[in-house]
Amino acid sequence: MPKHDLSFNPAAMNTAGSLGFYPDSHSLIDWSALGAFVTNPISLTPRTPAHGRRYTPYPGGFLLHTGYPNPGLSHVLRRYAGQWSRSPLPVIVHLLARGTEELVKMVRRLENMEGVSGLEVGMVSEATTDMVVASTQASVGELPVIIQLPMERSLELAGSAIQAGAVAISLAAPRGMLPSQEGKSVQGRLYGPAILPMTLRVVHELTQLSIPVIGAGGIYTRQHVDAMLTAGALAVQLDSCLWCGAGSGILT
Amino acid sequence: MGHSIGRISEIRLGSGRIPEMMIACPESAVPDAGQYLLAYDRDDPNTVLSIPLFMAEKSNQGFWAASLSPLNWVPGAKLDLIGPLGHGFDLPHNIQRLGLVVLGDTVSRLLPLVHLTTQTITGVTLFTDLSLPILPAALEVYPLASLKDFMDWPDFLALDVPLDNLPQLHAIFGLSNRDILPCPAQVLMTTPMPCVGMAQCGACAVPARRGWKLVCEDGPVFDLNVLQW
Repeated sequence: MPKHDLSFNPAAMNTAGSLGFYPDSHSLIDWSALGAFVTNPISLTPRTPAHGRRYTPYPGGFLLHTGYPNPGLSHVLRRYAGQWSRSPLPVIVHLLARGTEELVKMVRRLENMEGVSGLEVGMVSEATTDMVVASTQASVGELPVIIQLPMERSLELAGSAIQAGAVAISLAAPRGMLPSQEGKSVQGRLYGPAILPMTLRVVHELTQLSIPVIGAGGIYTRQHVDAMLTAGALAVQLDSCLWCGAGSGILT
Repeated sequence: MGHSIGRISEIRLGSGRIPEMMIACPESAVPDAGQYLLAYDRDDPNTVLSIPLFMAEKSNQGFWAASLSPLNWVPGAKLDLIGPLGHGFDLPHNIQRLGLVVLGDTVSRLLPLVHLTTQTITGVTLFTDLSLPILPAALEVYPLASLKDFMDWPDFLALDVPLDNLPQLHAIFGLSNRDILPCPAQVLMTTPMPCVGMAQCGACAVPARRGWKLVCEDGPVFDLNVLQW
């Protein structure tokens, strides 16, 4: 069992991939409005940006396909571990692993690291129940673990993650497909207020199953935050609304 | 990173038939050539992301802005402004013959360079295939296809290039992959920047000679030699 639980006050944080690798004091974000900071996804080895069209807008939102570029765990620790130890708010490190072996290596390097308050482990969209259980068990140790599930399959997978030791579930941006101008199709993660009705329903259904869930996806206003919390979410994660005039103070 | 409030006071049709907006704002918010300013209309429920605005022309009230995408904002709209952001053009002082090359949807983002340099240089030539608004009389204009015949003329090139068009530069210059550009060049890379430098999300990544660069954070103006093209 984890030695400490996660608590969020305020009950809000950013999603992995929305605010970089550390809470930058020079940004316009009001850090006091967030209860935790979630890092960009970090893999064991470096990842380069995706090829081809990466951003495709549609009414009410946009599709993003970036490949989660990052310089790899060693580089991230060299560059940002000091910032985490001085962070004004708890830091949750988001891990992107290609299997349990990689995950174990990364978790070992992060446990007992000053400033790291928890881990969020991202699961691929084709994850099976066995993969979720194995990843959760590989991650649980000194730090509380949040398992980020593909939103479309969270009802199917959430119970296994919690039983395996996760303290909560978070929701990855749903995946979608759009026609491109070149007549092909582009796939990626969906952002923007147009997806809120879907994400709010998923949160409602998970809480009906007594799953501790951090609500995310499509939150753009204070009313959206309140709706997620009323539906039973432990907390909310904000994504692209933070890129609009630094969130326009939706939490204040 | 400055935060200010601005207002759209007028809209006109710029080059490439792209609307340009007069942004009335404090002088400290006006971006230099190639830099950008983030604008967000908090009263517009359809706004999903902040919009990067580039300076097309300075004015007494603020500046004429050229955006990367069509906008449905109207005169009178009040905007939250963040910036100026990014690295703009940094032209050497000893330029005599400046070549401007536009592969993008408007020449407006490069026009401030003409106003910057007309006191010191002997000639400015613009290479573009766009239909053009009324331009400064000192500016000569040629189609892009003629650039390869003029490559020994400029002693500095300033370019406006969409990310997708970067691989076309060799052909436009009439150079092989092994040829060296005959003069220094800076390029304004234009591409959507959804996270606007807040997340290093990678959506605006551009291939570089060593790894990759982010247009929002490392650019949007680069020395062309830094990029892989």
